[in-house]
Amino acid sequence: MSAPRSDRLTRWAITVPPTLFLLVFFLSPALIVVLAAFQYPGEFGGLAPLVNPAGGNQHGREYGLTLENARFFFSDFLFTEIFLRSFVVAAESTLICLLMAYPVAWLIAKSPKQHRDLLILLVILPFASNFLIRVYAWMIILGPQAALARMVNGVLGALGLEPVSLLFSPFAVLVGMVYVHLPFMILPLYTNLEKHDPVLLDAAQDLGANAWQRFWRVTWPLSLPGVFSGSALVFIPVLGMFAIPDILGGTRDMLIGNLIKDQFLGVRDWPFGATLSIVLTLCVLALAGFAAWAGRARRAHA
Amino acid sequence: MHRVACAVRTILRRAHGAHYLLLLLSLPLHAADTLYLYNWNNYISEATLARFETQCQCKVVQDYYSDNEEMLAKLAAGASGYDLIVPTGNAVEALLRSNQLRPLEKARLKNLHNIKPEFLSAFFDPGNRYSMPYAYTVTLLGYNVEKLRALNLPTDTWALIFEPRYLEKLKGRVTVLDSQRELMAAAMRYLGYSVNDSDEVKWNRARDLILRAKPYWAAFNASSYIKELTVGNIWLAHGYSNDMFQAQRDAEKAGRPFHIGYSIPKEGAVLALDSMVLHKTGRHPELALRFIDFMLEGNNSAELTNLIGSGNPNREAMRHIAPEIAGNPAVFPATEGMKHLEMLRDLDRKSRRVLNRLWTEIKLR
Amino acid sequence: MRKLPVWLKLAAAATFAFLYVPLVVVVVYSFNDSRLNAEWVGFTLDWYRVLFADEAMLHAARNSLTIALVASLCATFLGTLAGLAIHRYHPRWLPLLVITPVAMPEILLGVSLLVFFIQVLHLTLGLVSIVLAHITFSIGFVAIVVRVRLVGMDESIFEAARDLGASPWQTFRLVTFPLILPAVVAGFLMSFTLSIDDFVITFFTAGVGVSTLPLQIYSMIKIAVTPEVNAVSTLLMLLTLLLVVAASRMDKGFMKGRA
Repeated sequence: MSAPRSDRLTRWAITVPPTLFLLVFFLSPALIVVLAAFQYPGEFGGLAPLVNPAGGNQHGREYGLTLENARFFFSDFLFTEIFLRSFVVAAESTLICLLMAYPVAWLIAKSPKQHRDLLILLVILPFASNFLIRVYAWMIILGPQAALARMVNGVLGALGLEPVSLLFSPFAVLVGMVYVHLPFMILPLYTNLEKHDPVLLDAAQDLGANAWQRFWRVTWPLSLPGVFSGSALVFIPVLGMFAIPDILGGTRDMLIGNLIKDQFLGVRDWPFGATLSIVLTLCVLALAGFAAWAGRARRAHA
Repeated sequence: MHRVACAVRTILRRAHGAHYLLLLLSLPLHAADTLYLYNWNNYISEATLARFETQCQCKVVQDYYSDNEEMLAKLAAGASGYDLIVPTGNAVEALLRSNQLRPLEKARLKNLHNIKPEFLSAFFDPGNRYSMPYAYTVTLLGYNVEKLRALNLPTDTWALIFEPRYLEKLKGRVTVLDSQRELMAAAMRYLGYSVNDSDEVKWNRARDLILRAKPYWAAFNASSYIKELTVGNIWLAHGYSNDMFQAQRDAEKAGRPFHIGYSIPKEGAVLALDSMVLHKTGRHPELALRFIDFMLEGNNSAELTNLIGSGNPNREAMRHIAPEIAGNPAVFPATEGMKHLEMLRDLDRKSRRVLNRLWTEIKLR
Repeated sequence: MRKLPVWLKLAAAATFAFLYVPLVVVVVYSFNDSRLNAEWVGFTLDWYRVLFADEAMLHAARNSLTIALVASLCATFLGTLAGLAIHRYHPRWLPLLVITPVAMPEILLGVSLLVFFIQVLHLTLGLVSIVLAHITFSIGFVAIVVRVRLVGMDESIFEAARDLGASPWQTFRLVTFPLILPAVVAGFLMSFTLSIDDFVITFFTAGVGVSTLPLQIYSMIKIAVTPEVNAVSTLLMLLTLLLVVAASRMDKGFMKGRA
């Protein structure tokens, strides 16, 4: 039996460094944010102080804590609507990413070792260039005078339908979102698929399962942790994105990321921005919690 | 301490280049005489900067912002060290009221008298105790001259972006600024109200006007409309005068079969006067003051106008400005035209919230 | 190795094509003889010349690479530890602590870190503040990927090693680490990518006069995203290519040396 002392040391050595780092560099700032959601906006920006430095209540100005921001959020279904819409877009992006990433992850996982490294490199490489320039490239590709748009509208015209604009549309936003987040789906899926034991599939084949059954009954369930992680790594960032709707979006493509950005960089309403962000974070954590619970329930079942 | 330990540990684990990385981790030392300038993108000519650097035997380091709000947000969060900033009027108002500016030692500004009197003592800084005018732009409409002529459309009215009878011909070829204040201001002027009127009833009318026109617009665009106009994807854009100047030049250089024109709508428009101010946390106010005086000289001020086509509040500069720019009524409006231009004032926080909700509605419906 | 069905290879190829079309546009347009990034005019090497004369851009690129390297190394280290800890010891709060920076909107993280650095730590902003910020949001990504790898792994291997008398460090070095290596490398690559491309958080935590590539490029948006940006992107990709190739060589050597 191994000495319990070295066990405790190991446990300490592994758990403490990340915990400490995050407590300092994440939790403290996060607490500032939570506090901010309950403060008044500063008259000219930032946050109003918690205590009135001059003492007493100056007219028109408030200090201290308040629920006004939460009230403002619920005062109009508008804000909830933006949340819902963003969740839909995020779900769509995640689904499309999953469909596109799975074959690639599988291919990489089942390739011989030398090829595997090369393929992973090929996945990562586009993302070493700059995010903005890639989005701008899509502006070129989807532009009304470019080949793709002309082809599509040519076909539509032949069918007697109205021409559509590929750029400045929800379609363009979706393309942008999927494009930017694809590797975050491919990589976790790959790390999971790579450790699947081929023996299982051989056994299934010997038992008479066809290709679809082998996939659905063996590969898919085993890959679920990878699917969930990849989905999380796509779904969550998509929710917070504002650059893609800004550049590729049309006139109705405002997402929650844009709204939050506006609070900090447009309206100087930090408390409301903090409120929106907290609601967003809570929703995401709730979803993640639900996914984790579902995962555990299924494992207990299996 | 911890992060140094973690860095060292991982570096040693992967070998190679430990010394290089540790060297790079060390903080850069500030040069003895460096001016930290926080300015708009492309709002000063490289030649001007170089000349100042030679004259003062110092270095100028620039950081950029593309929107007043961006700059205000960073300063509100506590960013410090900028010596000189170039905010627009309403932002100067906000900075002043939150006590972030250093007063100017006017006695040291030898070239003060160069400024045209109509640009002195603006609403945000009576007596110019904290700010000196730098340049101005007007928010207006830029368009593809040939296309609009072919469609028989007027070029000098906001109706172009708000009236369905005009918009029908321009469907999907129009962009408007992605700015709450600017778009609302255009709508308010079109409806005959002041851009600074914060009456909710009037704002609701402006919102309805915008929502009615929105289906015809391609996008809310604050950054790439210059390119879209020049390439010909967009035929009409709501934007800033200096951007339209750029689009005009780009189209010519690219040898396009069309020209870009721009004009101030007759109903009136927003004038943005940008001023130089000293930030409280700057460490070289001396240098900053010298820079202000330097930019108040006619030829230095003119360089910006010649570069980007911005309006110039400097009398002395007019001699050095290219005649086609000096004679452009969209850049240098005549006295009559000036009467229709308004400067945006800062809003109080309650109005900002009301506007915010309105804007969300505009974007969502 | 069983043979892979044709349709699978086609689907994967199509996705790769999707990934690379914009890339091809970026690279090709870096040779475009036009100030605008809009349509092809003619071939020129001018933009590369402009790039190498552009002090500000080169400085920003150097900053970006330095930050990305340091931040992703630290984040990979801390994230791997976190992934291991979560999987093995199920600490109560660590999962939440790790995933929330990922779940939180970047803008919020950026603003709160800025306020924290300045008003609580009284830290002078500079490269260090950016590195710290980048590590904070990258840890979560690495931890998730490493944990995914560990889940479902046969625990008996570790017990066997211990029964054979290996110390925890030896177990880690000779058994655990090689098994989780693909995840660690994937995590590193993801952190590197996130860091080099990060705009929002860097925007808030960059010090006065410190610029990174995304900040520099963003500042050019209004005027025009000239092909100079395409040129720097092309070179960045080339550099990453060389870096990854070098890293994989180094890794193999490292593994061989230790075994």
